Amino acid sequence: MNALTTRPELRKKIVLLSITVIIEGVAFIFFWSVLRKTAATHMQASSASRTSDALPNLLSDLNLILPMSLLAILLGIVCAFYLEEWLSSTSWIRRFIESQVAFLTGIPSLLYGLLAVIIFFGYAGVFKATRTTFQHNTALFYTEMLIFILMVIPVAIKATQEALRSVETPIRESTYALGANRWQVLTQQVIPRAFPQMLAGGCRAMSQAFAAAALLTGIHIWSHTTGLRGLPDRFMLFLGGALLLSNASSFLTEIYVPASTQQN
Amino acid sequence: MQTEKEQPILSIRDLNAWYGDNQILKSLSFEVQQRQVTALIGPTKCGKSALVRCINRLNDFTPDFRFTGEILFKGSDMYAKKTDTAAIRKQVGMVFRKPRPFQCSIYENVAYGARISGINRTSQLDTIVQKSLQKTGLWDEIEPILDGTPEQLSTGQQQLLCIARALAVEPEILIFDEPCGELDPIETVKIETLVRDLTNDYTLIFVTNKRRQAARVSDSAGFLYCGELIEFGTTEKIFSNPQDTRTEQYVTGRLG
Repeated sequence: MNALTTRPELRKKIVLLSITVIIEGVAFIFFWSVLRKTAATHMQASSASRTSDALPNLLSDLNLILPMSLLAILLGIVCAFYLEEWLSSTSWIRRFIESQVAFLTGIPSLLYGLLAVIIFFGYAGVFKATRTTFQHNTALFYTEMLIFILMVIPVAIKATQEALRSVETPIRESTYALGANRWQVLTQQVIPRAFPQMLAGGCRAMSQAFAAAALLTGIHIWSHTTGLRGLPDRFMLFLGGALLLSNASSFLTEIYVPASTQQN
Repeated sequence: MQTEKEQPILSIRDLNAWYGDNQILKSLSFEVQQRQVTALIGPTKCGKSALVRCINRLNDFTPDFRFTGEILFKGSDMYAKKTDTAAIRKQVGMVFRKPRPFQCSIYENVAYGARISGINRTSQLDTIVQKSLQKTGLWDEIEPILDGTPEQLSTGQQQLLCIARALAVEPEILIFDEPCGELDPIETVKIETLVRDLTNDYTLIFVTNKRRQAARVSDSAGFLYCGELIEFGTTEKIFSNPQDTRTEQYVTGRLG
């Protein structure tokens, strides 16, 4: 059964995971305060209204990133369903896409960040002109979007495929043997069983994207000491988002035990 | 009891099947009589499961699977283009080796087949669930825990639940694909008794690699070896007076 672990075990796991999250949170807040102090000393002369700028900047970033990653994840999930449930394992389209996905998921997110930086520097002069937020500059906006999609979709595809594969064939077959059609098997048996793992995969994909965004912002901070309005806050937002999502992902995978390990 | 000659419910004619380039079934022909237990015996990997999966069209999902020949269910071709696959599978139920109850309450497990056929009235569902569970002899044991999860049942009870689930859609033929493979001897006896009882209402195909079990439960039997149907006949004939030397070797335990 692909189900929750037993209750005492679950309690132990939740306690352990919560301790990890608390430690991470404390370290995170400490790091943030240090970063803000450093940034403040750098910018004493440049801007007086830093703190008042921070919140709208953060919100506009979230406004940009959340819909984009949700869209990318949705696209990844749809693509994975198509590959896993409609194409046969011998179809060349499936083999081609799977090899590409394997290739793209194998690249560490650091390299994606660097790729984005290279593209930024490729637009000579553009980079230096960005005094404010990313989305005020279309070139940067599209670069960021491209990197995001390049990074999020393969991870989402792979995670969803793994989740769908974790639903055992006997379950599908016994549903078919009762006279269910493909749609009923998918919606009533496969998706409910695969959902926690799909959710964990989505969180993992978003977490990687956030980490790369944090890296980009970090590079921006350390290469420019002027015009830092709200950047440390944005860096921490991305970093915090990455941490939170990766925690959520491990939480889900810890709590839901796939069938093969629980019952033989 | 089954003395009068009836129209066979299922007849298989010259069936060849391949997974990729590997031929798994070689020109099989036999007939399954109504309300009888037909056992398919043979060593592992001899094509027993592939054969029964052809009968309820589960092989449709296996990539690289192809076949030639005919499977006639009540006189009409099961693989004809117009055939409704879901309807075929409703009439040809299947019980698998490992019991795999669904992730919902025991009641919902049994009611599942009826629900997907469009029966939603609680009173009707109640009757179906009770009848199916009574047929498997599980009703008295699990009536108080109908709303509980199937995980709290023993493996044997889970297998009986899976049988009840298959019976709830009122199939004509019920295929048992090594139903006792995971069970202990006492549970096995229960299943075997049940199989004998079910012949009053259903036609059963019983796949097993245990010779004695086949001899105990079946009316007629077929011996498969390396994808070929070596011999098919009444159980008595197969087990006491086999015509082929390989069958004789198998039933006496010298082959496979």
